[in-house]
Amino acid sequence: MKMEDMPLSGPDNTKLEALVHDIYSELVEDACLGLCFEVHRAVKQGYFFLDETDQESMKEFEIVDQPGLDIFGQVYNQWKNKECECPNCKRLIAASRFAPHLEKCLGMGRNSSRIANRRLASNNNMSKSESDQEDNDDLNDNDWSYGAEKKAKKRKSDKNQNSPRRSKSLKHKNGDLVNSISSETYNKYNYNTGHGISYDALSPDELRSLLTTQCGVISEHTKKMCTRSQRCPQHTDEQRRAVRVFLLGPSASLLPSADAAVENDSFDIPDGQSLMSRLQWDDTSDISPTDSASSKASTNHSDSRRPKKKKKTSLGLNSGGGGGGGCPTGSSISQSNISLSTKKKRPKVATPSISSIYDDLN
Amino acid sequence: MSKDSQMRAAINQKLIEMGERERLKELLRAKLVECGWKDQLKAHCKDVIREKGLEHVTVEDLVTEVTPKGRALVPDSVKKELLQRIRAFLAQHAAL
Repeated sequence: MKMEDMPLSGPDNTKLEALVHDIYSELVEDACLGLCFEVHRAVKQGYFFLDETDQESMKEFEIVDQPGLDIFGQVYNQWKNKECECPNCKRLIAASRFAPHLEKCLGMGRNSSRIANRRLASNNNMSKSESDQEDNDDLNDNDWSYGAEKKAKKRKSDKNQNSPRRSKSLKHKNGDLVNSISSETYNKYNYNTGHGISYDALSPDELRSLLTTQCGVISEHTKKMCTRSQRCPQHTDEQRRAVRVFLLGPSASLLPSADAAVENDSFDIPDGQSLMSRLQWDDTSDISPTDSASSKASTNHSDSRRPKKKKKTSLGLNSGGGGGGGCPTGSSISQSNISLSTKKKRPKVATPSISSIYDDLN
Repeated sequence: MSKDSQMRAAINQKLIEMGERERLKELLRAKLVECGWKDQLKAHCKDVIREKGLEHVTVEDLVTEVTPKGRALVPDSVKKELLQRIRAFLAQHAAL
């Protein structure tokens, strides 16, 4: 029978409707049968009950549906206001801010030299521009959560005074107290050991050898030393001289020598002499970088007893270096001076090349 | 009556020939999974199997237990849609 012959209208409509329902129930039964086969196969293969556990653990891991709790039944914002105690400054810090704080507090990481410099600057009561920068940093410093800040204010008077922030904020009120504290912490937590990166971290010996080979001018922005050669075009001779005075003490500039008078246009010779003279009197007094930097004024009085000794040594050295070579360049003289003086005291510091230059000159 | 059964056979053949039956089956399956029918029936199957014991379950048992429930659990919307599709198919091919 063809489809076209099918009677569709009139009383056959009910018959058609029955037909439609028959087809539908057939389809549903098909689906049921499919499911039965599926389940039966799973049972016989043994994987039907794999996703089931015992009732106890089912109850234990039931999904919790209550306001204020997550699906595991825990309070979901319980870690939000968690605070950790800083092992360094003993203050409570929001957990999310703990790592950045620790970096600053211990003086490690990228910004550490900047902060160390700031402490150093506060020690020295440096120029006004420096303090302006500090104020800006204060604004930007979101190290503490609001709650922690308040708590910290409450405990201002007791033990928590040796963090960088605290020392800054106290500085304007009680300079002496803070200076002593911050210098103490500075010495304690001075972890900077990068070569040529931060001048604070270098020992006087390293500093001296560095300054004989490098430009060494300290950048205003990064507070790091220039690592280019002594003739780097970015910095002026004046800057280089200022840095050496700053780092190696005022004696470097206060000691005009005979050679400096002759070759006034070259800065290397006075530099070399100052370095060398430092090397001489450093034998007796062991001065740390912080001391030499912070006690600029205090070294002045000690200069008065030194000139004789220095003059003697500088003359002797120059006769050795300058006399043999005729008119060598300034830098080579200074280098030979250094190599000679360092050779006297610490033979390992002088590199073979420098000493060979010295031999050539002789 | 023979005419009636003849017509029924012809329609079934047409459904299979045109592939409409497969399409309808697939549609129904998808809809039933979507509305949770399958999970409900599976849970029912679990009860049945626990009752009878894992080793003694046969397909026949399952079918007799599950099919009435399965038929009853089909949502009205799914049923309506399926009936609509079947009617449309019949009308389309009866008109030819």
